[in-house]
Amino acid sequence: MASHLETLDIPHLPEPLSVYVALYRDVQNAAFLRQQLLSGNKEFEYAFIDASMVFSRAHATAAIFRAINDYKNDRLKSHNVHSEIVFALNPANNIADSFRKFGVTDSTKDLLAVKVSVSPEITRDSVAAHLEASVQGTPVPFDDQTVSEISDVARIKKVFKLGALPSPGDKNSGPNAKRQLEMSLVGAIALRGS
Amino acid sequence: MTLPEVTGHPIYTAAYESSFFLGSIISISAAKMIAIGMEGSANKIGIGIMSHPKDGSPPQVLANIRHTYVSPPGEGFLPKDVARHHRAWVVNLVKGALKEAQVSVEEVDCICFTQGPGMGAPLQAVAIAARMLSLLWGKALIGVNHCVGHIEMGRLITGATNPVVLYVSGGNTQVIAYSSQRYRIFGETLDIAVGNCLDRFARTLHISNDPFPGYNIEQLAKQGKQLVDLPYVVKGMDVSFSGILAAIDSLAATLGLGGEERAREDAERASNVEQTSQDKDSDNKPTRADLCFSLQETVYAMLVEITERAMAHVGSKQVLIVGGVGSNERLQEMMGIMARDRGGSVYATDERFCIDNGIMIAQAGMLAYQSGFRTPLKDSSCTQRFRTDEVHVKWRED
Amino acid sequence: MAEYKPPALPAPFNSTNPAPELLTQGAEGHLYKTFSLDPSIPAALKVRPSKPYRHPILDRRLTRQRIIQEARCLAKLVREGVSVPAVLALDWEGQGGDEAGWGGAWLMMEWIDGPVVRVVLEQWEAWMKKNASSLDAAQLEQENARVKALLRRIGKALGGLHKAGVVHGDLTTSNLMLRLPAEDTEAKASPTGVSTQGEVVLIDFGLASQSVQDEDRAVDLYVLERAIGSTHPRSEPFMEELVHGYRESHRGAISTLKRLEDNPVPLSPPSPMTMTECFLPYG
Repeated sequence: MASHLETLDIPHLPEPLSVYVALYRDVQNAAFLRQQLLSGNKEFEYAFIDASMVFSRAHATAAIFRAINDYKNDRLKSHNVHSEIVFALNPANNIADSFRKFGVTDSTKDLLAVKVSVSPEITRDSVAAHLEASVQGTPVPFDDQTVSEISDVARIKKVFKLGALPSPGDKNSGPNAKRQLEMSLVGAIALRGS
Repeated sequence: MTLPEVTGHPIYTAAYESSFFLGSIISISAAKMIAIGMEGSANKIGIGIMSHPKDGSPPQVLANIRHTYVSPPGEGFLPKDVARHHRAWVVNLVKGALKEAQVSVEEVDCICFTQGPGMGAPLQAVAIAARMLSLLWGKALIGVNHCVGHIEMGRLITGATNPVVLYVSGGNTQVIAYSSQRYRIFGETLDIAVGNCLDRFARTLHISNDPFPGYNIEQLAKQGKQLVDLPYVVKGMDVSFSGILAAIDSLAATLGLGGEERAREDAERASNVEQTSQDKDSDNKPTRADLCFSLQETVYAMLVEITERAMAHVGSKQVLIVGGVGSNERLQEMMGIMARDRGGSVYATDERFCIDNGIMIAQAGMLAYQSGFRTPLKDSSCTQRFRTDEVHVKWRED
Repeated sequence: MAEYKPPALPAPFNSTNPAPELLTQGAEGHLYKTFSLDPSIPAALKVRPSKPYRHPILDRRLTRQRIIQEARCLAKLVREGVSVPAVLALDWEGQGGDEAGWGGAWLMMEWIDGPVVRVVLEQWEAWMKKNASSLDAAQLEQENARVKALLRRIGKALGGLHKAGVVHGDLTTSNLMLRLPAEDTEAKASPTGVSTQGEVVLIDFGLASQSVQDEDRAVDLYVLERAIGSTHPRSEPFMEELVHGYRESHRGAISTLKRLEDNPVPLSPPSPMTMTECFLPYG
C-alpha cells in the first residue's frame, strides 16, 4: 500500500524538505485520527485534510507551498507546518474555523494526509509505514480525476464565497470553468492575510 | 560697487554672492561669441556672461553673479517685493558682470533673458531690463525657457550627454527626457512643486529662509530618527505633494511643533548641546527634526522613483538633477544609490549652477542664438506658464 | 560604469534549480521565467526587489502595498472571468536577497504562452510596408480586416477589464498578449506569416487599481490609443474598431467614451498658457 504514498514534486521547495501525500477513500477511523490531533500525539503530526474540501492537486499544492514558505520565514500562525497547511486552505483568517471546515472530522470519509519532512528521521519509508498502520481506508492515487470524484464543489465554492462562478460539469459552464475556479481558489490562498 | 538699499525687509537680504570663474578668462577676440544671461523668475536675480569660442572649444563662464531676496522666517516672498528687489539690483549686477568678465558692450552678441515660467512680476522686471539693453545696445534679444536653461547648463557642466533630467525647484517638478528636438516631460507634479512643499513646511515650523528654507530643513532633518507615516502619491510618472503638505502641517499642529516659540527653542538647543541629549522624548513623540526627516525621506523617494521609471522607459543610464532642490545632499545620495543599482550614474551640479543663475540663461540662449533663433520685441512678453516641451531644441540633432 | 547585476533572488527562488531566467528588468520589478508549483507547468515570477535608496520602513510599506494591490487585481479579474495571468503564489515580505532579512516581495503568476501584441503588429506592419503593393485589392482588404478584428478584440478585452472594476494604469501594446491557440491556422493562411489568433490576455498590473471612475477608464483608453498611434502607424487608422469593441463590451462604456471625447487629454495637469503682459510701469 505504501506505493500510494506520493513524494510531491514541488519546485522551489527549500532543501532538504520533502512533502509526502496520500489520499484515502472510505476511511473508517476518522474519529480516532482526529482524536490523536486533539490530544497532541506527536506521532500523528500530519495535515489531515477532509478531501471533499480539496478541489484539485493545484489547490492542495498551493496551500502546502504557502504553509511551507511561511514556515521557512518564521511566520506560522498555528502550531506547526502541518496545522498551517490546513489553515492555509482556509480563505479566512480563523484557525479554529479552518480545522472545522478543512480538517478531518468524525464524519470524514475521504482523507488527504500530508507530511512535511521537518526533521531528518521523517523519511518516505517511516511515513508510509506509519500511515499504513494508522489509517483504515482505501489508498487511491492523488490525481485530479480521483479528487474530482471526491470534492464537494458546492461547499468549496460556498466557503470561498465563489458561488457566482460556474462549476465544472454544469450544463452552462464553458471549457474554462475548471481553470477559473481552480485559479480563484489558488489566488485566495496566496492572498490570505494580505 | 555701491549696493542699493532694498525696501521691504532690508535686514533679510542676503549678502552679495561673489562671482567665480569656470576656467580662466580667455583673451578677448572676435574668435568667440558672447551672451549675457538675465534670470529673475523667482526671488533671485542673476546675471551671467558666457563665451562660446568659434573654434568649438568648450564654452567659458566669464561672470556669474547673483543676489537673493530673502524673506523673514514664517513668510514667503511677495511677487511685488521680489520685483522691486530685482529692479533695484539689475543695473548694478549687469555692470558688475561686464566688469568682472572684462567684456565691453561691443563684444556682446546677444541679450538672453528668462521668458518663463516663473512669478509674473519678477519675470517682467528683468525682461524689461533685457529689452532695454537690447534696444540700447542694438543686440539680438533671446527669450529663454527657464527649465531649458537648467538642462543646458547641467549638460555643459557635468558632461552628461543624454540624461533623464529631474528638474526640481520651488516652482517646478518635472522628469524630462530628450527626444526628436524636444525636452519631453515624462512626469511632473499634479499640484505644487516639491520645493514649494518644503518651503511651506519650513514656514509652518518658522525655519529660517536664509540661505533658503530647503537647506535648513535638511540640516534639521539630519537630527531626525523616526519616520512618520505620510501620504506617498505617485501615479505612473506623476507625483502630488499637496496631500503630503496638508498631512504634515496638521501633524505639526497636533503635536504643537509649529510656530515661532518652538523655532526659538530649537535655536537655543542648538547652542546648548547638553540639553539635546536629555530632550529626547521618552514617549517617542515625533520631534520637529523627525518631521523634517520624514518629509524629506518621503518626497525624495517619490522623486527618485519617477526618475527611475523614466530611465527604464527611455533606456537611459544617466540622471541629471537640476533646480534649487537638486542641491539637497540626501536627494543626491538617494538618486546615486538608485542609479548605481541600475548600472548608471548621477550628474548633479553644486549650488552655483543648480540654484537659479544668469549663466544658464546665457548658455541656453547662446545655443538658440547660434541655431538662428531670435525673439522679436513684439514676442518678448513673459509667460508665467511656459512648458519645457514647447521649446524647439533646434541645436540638438540626435 | 559598473556592469549591471540584478539583485539576488529572494528565498525560496535563490535555490531553485535551474535558476529562474531573467526576462525583463523594469523600474519596479524584475520578471523571470521559472516553474509553477508543478514542475511540468511554467510560471512567470515577478520580483519587486527592495529599494536600498528608500528608508527601510517606507520601502517595506510601498513594496508590500504594491505587490498586494497587483495580486488582488489579478485575483479579482480571474474570478470575474477576465483573461489575465492567474496568481499562483505570493509573498509580500520575502526573505533573503542582498539586504539581510529583506529580499523584496514576489508574485508567481501563470505563464502565458504567446506573443505580445506589440510584436504581432510590428511584424505585420513591417511586412505590409515592404510588400503591401504586391497584394491585390481582395488580399489587402483581408489583411486589414484581420488587424481590425484584432483591435476590436482588444477593445472588448479592455471593456471586460473595466466592467470588472479594474483599471490597468499602464496600457500599451507591450502589455497585451495573444494566448497561443492549440492550432494556429492563420499564420500559414496569410502571406504575411503573422498570426493574430489567440485570446487577448492583459498583463502587467503593476500600476493597476480598482476603480469604476470614467476618468480612470478614459485614461486607460487614451494611453492605449496614444501607444498604438505612436508605435503602430499603419494600425492607427483602425482605432475606430478598438473603440467599437470597447463600446459593445459593457454598459458603462458609453459614458467613458463620452468622457474621453469631452476631454481628450485627461492625463496631464492643466497647463493654461497664461500670457502676462509685460509692460508694467515701475511701482
